[in-house]
Amino acid sequence: MAISPDLLKQLEEKRKVAYAAGGADKLAERKKKGLMSARERLEAFFQPGTFMEFGLHAQHSCHDFGLADKSFPGDGVITGIGYVDGRPVAAFSQDFTVGGGALGKTHAKKICDLLEYAQKAGMPVVGINDSGGARIQEGDDALSGYGQVFFRNVLLSGVVPQISIIAGPCAGGAAYSPALTDFIIMTKTNAQMFICGPEVIKASTGQTVTMDEIGSAAAHAAISGNIHFVAENEKHALEIARKLFSFLPSNNIMDPPHRPTPTISLEPDPEMNTLVPEDPKAPLDVLKVINRLVDDGDFLEVMKEFAKNIVVGFARIQGMVVGIIANQPAVKAGTLDIDSSDKGARFIRFCNVFNIPIVTLVDVPGFMPGVAQERGGIIRHGAKMLFAYAAATVPKITIIMRKAYGGAYLAMCSADMGADLVFAWPTAEIAVMGADGAVKVLFKREIAAAAEPKKKEKELAAEYREKFASPYEAAGKAMITDVIEPSQTRGMVAMAIRNTIAKRETRPPKKHGNIPL
Amino acid sequence: MKKLRVTVEGKAYEVLVEILDEGTQTAAPMPVASAPVASAPVASAPVSTSAAAPVAAPAAPKGASGPGDITSPLAGKLVSVDVKVGQAVEEGAQVATVEAMKMNTYIYAPKAGKVASILVNPGDGVEEGTVLLRLA
Repeated sequence: MAISPDLLKQLEEKRKVAYAAGGADKLAERKKKGLMSARERLEAFFQPGTFMEFGLHAQHSCHDFGLADKSFPGDGVITGIGYVDGRPVAAFSQDFTVGGGALGKTHAKKICDLLEYAQKAGMPVVGINDSGGARIQEGDDALSGYGQVFFRNVLLSGVVPQISIIAGPCAGGAAYSPALTDFIIMTKTNAQMFICGPEVIKASTGQTVTMDEIGSAAAHAAISGNIHFVAENEKHALEIARKLFSFLPSNNIMDPPHRPTPTISLEPDPEMNTLVPEDPKAPLDVLKVINRLVDDGDFLEVMKEFAKNIVVGFARIQGMVVGIIANQPAVKAGTLDIDSSDKGARFIRFCNVFNIPIVTLVDVPGFMPGVAQERGGIIRHGAKMLFAYAAATVPKITIIMRKAYGGAYLAMCSADMGADLVFAWPTAEIAVMGADGAVKVLFKREIAAAAEPKKKEKELAAEYREKFASPYEAAGKAMITDVIEPSQTRGMVAMAIRNTIAKRETRPPKKHGNIPL
Repeated sequence: MKKLRVTVEGKAYEVLVEILDEGTQTAAPMPVASAPVASAPVASAPVSTSAAAPVAAPAAPKGASGPGDITSPLAGKLVSVDVKVGQAVEEGAQVATVEAMKMNTYIYAPKAGKVASILVNPGDGVEEGTVLLRLA
């Protein structure tokens, strides 16, 4: 006897109801607005036909406030596994058409189950956030649900890459789940992320502010530094997530997807020499250097709009995945300040947990001077860079392009901070401080006693500069690996990474270090 | 509408203030003959300005100074102003050079316009946010 057709029919009916989500009207309304449904987002993200769903028939169990007879298909979130470039990825997509995508007990359980599965199976997680917030009818069950999601976000941190996409509202406590993940991608329109909205701000502080000023992708990308990528729309956000995965391992015990070439090309790139201005005061656009350094100029810049005086992102150099951290002298003279230190340090730590070699391009005149910087805690923030580099055990290759001054040089991974190989261009200036400042301290009396103090100061500064404004003083003390032409950089960095890729470095066992936060 | 300049932590902001009960104010001087009627709106005047003030203040921290103002992105010494008063500039044209931290930082026009005034001289020390020049 075959299975009863009624049972099959019942299953089919139940599936239909679940797939209908919040109903045909709501889905049509969404379409009119040019938005994808929660399910369409997952379909667009994964390779066709690879999605395996968890908890399609899940329902809420709330009997209060008129919810007893209400059905929320899937409880407002679709969860499951699908494939991206042949690798499994766990994903959840909140469904705004189902009760506003609000999070209740079952909704939270589905996300938690998915996160636990991803941890066990060692696969990355993508969360597509589009939710009105907590399902208030469920009271503290909803609050507890958020807590359980946060807890698992933290357990997974450093085990598997976690990416959040904000493609709708993400307000109040809900914003902290994305904040605990590695990368946040937000759509330019139809997405808001904030803790307290304009009305609450107005009521409690009297300040008038628009949603765009505090909650838009533009505000978070350039001002708050809360997000990493701005997407044109949902499709673009999913594309960015896939692009990001192309550089990342599935988990912390795997290597990133290197595609090593059979041989390493040491062919010089004469164009690189032309990028270096003759005048040391003329800024060099480090993005142009990166563009020539990496394969096909393919550089995925992270936090492009925030703290532009440092540039971070992923690329491949002769097939090997690298994380690049570079000073940008064209912005704020390439100084390290509070924001750029935070940005750099977080990126370094991401690379380290996921076994991504770090290439550092140095052109740093120092830490940013200023009252706001000192009072804002540049000591604490700058220390993050020092801590992150010293604590990183992945291959660390440093290129000193031009200025490498004082503590800021150490904070850009000098050999002392654990760089495995350090190359300097002939334009490198490696010194504890600038010549003008140094002679004022060193020769205070001599300058004061001189017949023409200004002239004396200039002479002494020139002498100091002659000695230190070159890589050869440091090279002479074997503090760097070699001095190379800019044109040799790509070949040399490729070889340096290959030579260092099998690096093993053990540290004293401990729970974790205490990075200054 | 009233145009005011507000200085917050050394940064000058130009804000437009709309006085909502302006109607009663402008109406006030009209009945010249009856003094008691005129005095009432006068008394209400301070109320209207103080009511307008909180509207103006939150507008300031948006970060923008007056429209057309080009400010220094960091503290340093002005090396040169690279345009002249009256000159038309394209968006992205280099308009000034500030030296800080052993490096020249070029300042570019955020939009196309005509240089209306230059507020600084080469050699001047400038702060972050100092208005260097204005575009009309």
